Amino acid sequence: MTIQRLLIRWVSFTLLCVLFTQTAFSQTKTITGKVSDDKGAPVPGATVTLRGTNAGASTAADGSFTLTGPANATTLIVSSVGFTNQEISIVGQSNINVTLQPTQSNLNEVVVIGYGTARRRDVTGAVATVNAKDFNQGPIAAPDQLLTNKTPGVQVTTSSGQPGGGTTIKIRGNATVIAGANLPLIVVDGVPLDGRDATPSLNLGTNGLPFGTTPSSNPLLYINPYDIQSMEVLKDANATAIYGSRGANGVLVITTKKATSSGGTKIDFHASVGDNVGYMKTDGVMNASQFRAKLQQYNLGSAGYDSGYSVNPLKDIEQHKLLQTYDLDLSGGNDNGKFHASILAQTNPGIIKKTGLDKYLGTFNGTYKMWDKRVTLDFNLIVGHVQLDQTLITNTPGAGGNLMQWILNWNPTVRYQAPDGSYIGQAFTDVNPMAALDAYTDRSNVNTVLGNISGTVRLAKGLDYKMLYAINEGSGTRYTDFNGWIQGVQGISATGLGAISTANITSQTFTHTLNYNGDLTDKLHLSAVAGYEYWTTNFRDQTLLGTGFDINNTWASRVSIRNSDQLTDASSLSSSPANPQDPSVEIQSYFARVGFNWADKYYLNGTFRADGSSKFGVNNHYGYFPSVGARWVLSNEDFMKDITLINNLALRGSWGITGSQDFPAGAAQTQFNFSQNATPVEIAYGNPNLKWQRTAQTDIGLDFTLLKGRLYGTFDWYRKNTTQIVFQNQAIAPGPGTNGKEFVNLDGNLYNSGEELSLGGTVIDKPDFTWDLSFNISHNKNILKNFNSPPVITGVINGNGLSNTYAEEIANNQPIDVFYMPHWLGYTKSGTDTTTASSYFAGNPNPEWLYGLSTTLRYHKLSLNLAFGGAGGYKVFNNTALAVTNIGIFAKGQNVSKNAFAAGETTANGTVFSDKYLESGNFIKLRNATVNYNLGNIGNFKNASVYVTGSNLFVKTKFTGFDPEVNIDKQYQGFASVGMEYLPYPTPRIITIGINTSF
Amino acid sequence: MNLNKFLKNSFLIIGVVSVAATGCTKLHENLTSTLSQTDANKFSNLFLQAAYNDLGLVYEDPGNVLQLEEASTDEMFIPIRGTDWYDGGYHVQLHLHNWTRNSIPLAETEFTILNKTNFDATQVLGTNGTPDQIAQARFIRAIVLYQLLDLFGEFPLRQPNDNLLLPSKVYSGDSATSFIISELTSAISNLAPGNGTTLANQDAARALLMRVYLNRGTFKNAASPTFADADMQQVVTLGNQVLTDWGYKWAANYFDIFNPNNGATTESLFSLPNARGANTGSGFYGNIQNQWYATLHYNSYDALAPQSGWNGYSTMGEFYNTFGVNGVTPTQTVADSSLDNRLGEAHYAGVTDVSGIRPGILINQQYDEHGNALQDRKKLPLVFTNASEVPASIDVSLLPNLEDVGYRIIKYSPDFTTGAKSYQVPGNYFILFRQADVLLMTAEALMRQGTPNNAGALALVNKLRVARGATPLTSMTLNDPNSVYTANTLLAERGRELYWEGLRRTDLIRFGMWKTAWRLKPADNGNYYVFPIPDADLSVNPNLIPNLQGSNY
Repeated sequence: MTIQRLLIRWVSFTLLCVLFTQTAFSQTKTITGKVSDDKGAPVPGATVTLRGTNAGASTAADGSFTLTGPANATTLIVSSVGFTNQEISIVGQSNINVTLQPTQSNLNEVVVIGYGTARRRDVTGAVATVNAKDFNQGPIAAPDQLLTNKTPGVQVTTSSGQPGGGTTIKIRGNATVIAGANLPLIVVDGVPLDGRDATPSLNLGTNGLPFGTTPSSNPLLYINPYDIQSMEVLKDANATAIYGSRGANGVLVITTKKATSSGGTKIDFHASVGDNVGYMKTDGVMNASQFRAKLQQYNLGSAGYDSGYSVNPLKDIEQHKLLQTYDLDLSGGNDNGKFHASILAQTNPGIIKKTGLDKYLGTFNGTYKMWDKRVTLDFNLIVGHVQLDQTLITNTPGAGGNLMQWILNWNPTVRYQAPDGSYIGQAFTDVNPMAALDAYTDRSNVNTVLGNISGTVRLAKGLDYKMLYAINEGSGTRYTDFNGWIQGVQGISATGLGAISTANITSQTFTHTLNYNGDLTDKLHLSAVAGYEYWTTNFRDQTLLGTGFDINNTWASRVSIRNSDQLTDASSLSSSPANPQDPSVEIQSYFARVGFNWADKYYLNGTFRADGSSKFGVNNHYGYFPSVGARWVLSNEDFMKDITLINNLALRGSWGITGSQDFPAGAAQTQFNFSQNATPVEIAYGNPNLKWQRTAQTDIGLDFTLLKGRLYGTFDWYRKNTTQIVFQNQAIAPGPGTNGKEFVNLDGNLYNSGEELSLGGTVIDKPDFTWDLSFNISHNKNILKNFNSPPVITGVINGNGLSNTYAEEIANNQPIDVFYMPHWLGYTKSGTDTTTASSYFAGNPNPEWLYGLSTTLRYHKLSLNLAFGGAGGYKVFNNTALAVTNIGIFAKGQNVSKNAFAAGETTANGTVFSDKYLESGNFIKLRNATVNYNLGNIGNFKNASVYVTGSNLFVKTKFTGFDPEVNIDKQYQGFASVGMEYLPYPTPRIITIGINTSF
Repeated sequence: MNLNKFLKNSFLIIGVVSVAATGCTKLHENLTSTLSQTDANKFSNLFLQAAYNDLGLVYEDPGNVLQLEEASTDEMFIPIRGTDWYDGGYHVQLHLHNWTRNSIPLAETEFTILNKTNFDATQVLGTNGTPDQIAQARFIRAIVLYQLLDLFGEFPLRQPNDNLLLPSKVYSGDSATSFIISELTSAISNLAPGNGTTLANQDAARALLMRVYLNRGTFKNAASPTFADADMQQVVTLGNQVLTDWGYKWAANYFDIFNPNNGATTESLFSLPNARGANTGSGFYGNIQNQWYATLHYNSYDALAPQSGWNGYSTMGEFYNTFGVNGVTPTQTVADSSLDNRLGEAHYAGVTDVSGIRPGILINQQYDEHGNALQDRKKLPLVFTNASEVPASIDVSLLPNLEDVGYRIIKYSPDFTTGAKSYQVPGNYFILFRQADVLLMTAEALMRQGTPNNAGALALVNKLRVARGATPLTSMTLNDPNSVYTANTLLAERGRELYWEGLRRTDLIRFGMWKTAWRLKPADNGNYYVFPIPDADLSVNPNLIPNLQGSNY
């Protein structure tokens, strides 16, 4: 379906909804007016109500409002997020202009915490909020990218430049050793997600195929970034312990936009177009003339390597299709019922041909009050269709390579095609990249529904009961073809491949909560929550892979039918994995939170959760997770009243225990499958004592606002001690070998400790010129102590002559996944590498420092926003330079990096593994720069603006590969890797132009 | 019904139903698509099949046990070829006998997969299988226990349903040998009589028993093995049983034993089957195609299957010369019948006419099926050399770019029956025990028994030589202590018949030749008789003996 047709359908549907919810009521008085901020700019979306009545409206884009209500109303209340509420007498007036004063550092903003909300000033835990206005700009595939570098202690690493590629989110360091764990719990509108989605995975490393696993995609692609109101990062135990056995890696709470208006209907429209203008950075492979010069320099001029043409595969593989985004957002309703609906249609072609991400997402949510507002019904529905096109860029290709290797290694003096259109032939390690691109097709279609419905009943004053039911259902299909006419590809040439992969996920949540808010005395305020939650998930993922085709297998047998549509033609079919359906998971929990506030000075908050999980061993079905937090608002003490410099100063402290259950379902039971030629294989042996990984965290924080809000910030110190580390033990031989695992809770302490600082402020504050700055920095130290097991190897190195080579270890007294390798000693007289015979701990792959800086300059209607981000104190292993772009490969007549020619090194030098290829990962990036021009109102278009955004504009780094911010999945036997680069999908530089308007 | 009423009613219904449905639940984990232990125990036949499959994984791919047993000997050398085959230097270390404690990852892999077979065979013993099934499982387990003892000097053992997190019992030295002998002796009567099948049988068990008896002294003291007369008598008796059973049904051509239709060869005692083109389940059966992938050059053959090889495993001129061809440099035009036909180099129907490859030892210029000379990746003639250009003292970091170095060996010939499909998923059976080995072991035992019978041994060996088109020997010793390359020895005859079949390392140790110098290897200065037990296993099982002999570990 085209975007245009979809838009038409969506608009007509939502208009229906608008009409449906409009109800008229008698009018006796009409008030009009305009709301502006202290600088005179209009404030759209502010809520205007009449005290003591049900009448209300919200301001339009130009700040104007019209309100009708009972004639006897006397006071108008105006509120808007980020501003102090204003009450104005309207006696005898019908036209009112209101000026709102901004609140200082958003102390009154509502923060979403576990199973409830709180005012920012009342929060005792470490909770960072990133609001929509502060999000990263540009083409954003998934919500997590919105907050990259926006808040300290949160590391969001995108592992590939593929649109929709997977990300790794780490909050306050590296807290687990198991691959695929470490992700924070993600909660969308009160619904905890599974962490997986229905994009089918595909392993091209089975059945003799040499490419390895294909990269994962982002599990949040179905969430519309424009729909997000705010994201909260819950960091310390006081904030996360209410999520119990899933809170240890932090919690990311996503709140989508709701209808804020009461009265009137608002339509927002956003459109942008863009282009991948080039690569942010390449690893510097040579062009044809540089290649020729090197041939001469190394006396290879007569080897027949120069075919006389000039091509640039990295350039020739690019596509420049228009990136397009259209987002339409409607909200409206009245005092009894409000709705919000949106539609996003987006096509995001990748910079490499035949790759891209197309999305069609719709959301619909609303709130209805009934029975004298004693009952509130809320619902949220997200429906998404995502189409992901990928190419053959895999994580762990061996000697056979993948598309990126063929691009980098292609001799730039050789043309791709003969005049008759046939592809130029290739030798073993020199596959024609254009032919490979042509022969390979890989498309996934994923449909996802995330819906929840909840009812809240006001049982008594301050006492609410709420019941929520949510379902997250996803189903995905992936069709992959690699035609056998391609030459020189092991496992594919002359046999072909066709694969159908599917994935399904269904998660359901039932939550009952009882919420109390009330004043016990005139100074003591109590807030309390008690609840019960039941969560269950089912996941299935399977690939049917065929080889040995008759069609598309030679140039002559090329047909228009895809291999995956003719699997019956395959001479051999295999199904993997052997256990496609995960064991079912049930979690049942009881939780409570009690908070006391005495005179807005002293806050005490305690949470408790009892979590039962079917994943735990039968002897440990329940875990208990307590936390306490306290806050002392010094600035409200009498002795601080006279210090005008300080507007707010609060000290926080918290302690608590959280858990992580990031091990596969079924891990506590003995299991067999048929993974080996239809015979049962013991894949896991049971551990009835298996339990959650336990993290105790202490946090001390300081929040401050100075100079009437011109400067504000937060400092936190934390220490996390993770014990009962979830670990996979091999059986003691004789056992089931690498197939058989037992998940155990190891002795040992995994410490993450660090400091976080965020600062924000207004440097210049003139009516027509403002300059805002915000900066955050965090430091984390990660170390494993008291670990008595032998070191665990991980960080698989791939490439020719690099079998059984590993770059990382999990070892005692070292950071997780510390680099472990021989030390490079230089070149021998004959120009080859020499290294130490033994390995040493060569560096930390986990960044010690993360920082971000955002700044906005506004002059009249023109504004410039810049967002920088960076990391430091870590190393990246450049597996590409070791295996693919080294001088020895050049000796075979293939292209390599310009960096590969060191003085004193000869072309006979092989691929010798050492810390020569371990590089500093430190970098600083200009993630995005936006120039925005506010057009104001043009006819029916209100508050229109146009902008230009550039993404990934530059990176400053000493790293010689594509992107130092990389994390190719090089796990080994279930243990995660960190900081490995190998043939990644390059990060594109993107320019987009867009408009925003309301009407 | 107006909206509010509708919503009120819906809310009430949803509320009541969901509260009722989600009260306290007893948490339950349903395994869905995996089997529990109780389920799995219903499949003793499949557990047995799993153990057979394991043997395929252990033996068929030459990159497993075969590489440890051959690349460490005079028969095989894997040079570093520029950017290929470095792998941390362990291929060369194997040949030089200078590995260190953790430098041979392959040895660690083999310890794991041999013990997986050990474990899977033991699983059968825990089911209520038939006596025949139990006996087959014992035979399979005895094979890998022998192999573990041979490679590592010890093996761990479990009873069915042991707790896998508790250390297993470990056998070493004579108690290990005795255990294997008792296992085989008790299993043999429940096995099917005869030989030549893909199932455990009595003659295959006898052949294994012969190996154990013959090497008993080696396992006891590898540095100076002794041979008890009683053991040698056992070998002769068992050997005669097998040979009588067999009746000397020689294959017409030596390479018929290994060709893609060798399932029917008369010379096999026990083989591991492969189904051409059928890789059902997950993964190939045992990757027997790697027998040719591992040795062929990238450009050896590319008409139907573009990567003919990985350009790795090679042999050297000195080994080639033990066939008695010194000075006769055979060429492509050599008369097909002029030499010991185990050397190959002859036109072989179904292989040479399709690919130009002549099974046997591949030397000098290589040709395609049309007789055109092949080129290497530098567009130079593809000429396999006798490895003379490899410097005598090998420093891993100094090795030049040796793309074409070394003669290559094609013993299992590629399967071109269905073109590229069968080339990649072939139908060759892997021969695990064969008659010629039994004959040679019998001859060896005759020479090692209390009263040596050298004439009887020579007669047996000449029977084999005649069948292979080689001239009979007039005299033969066990070995020449000064050189592994002396041609008229039983050790050399074993090399000529059994090269690249994974027996050479054990032979060299048994014949006392392991520490001597040979091409590209100086005399040993350490004790490299066994491979080190992996650290990971040592640290979890205190019963394992860290076999770190010599200063070099």
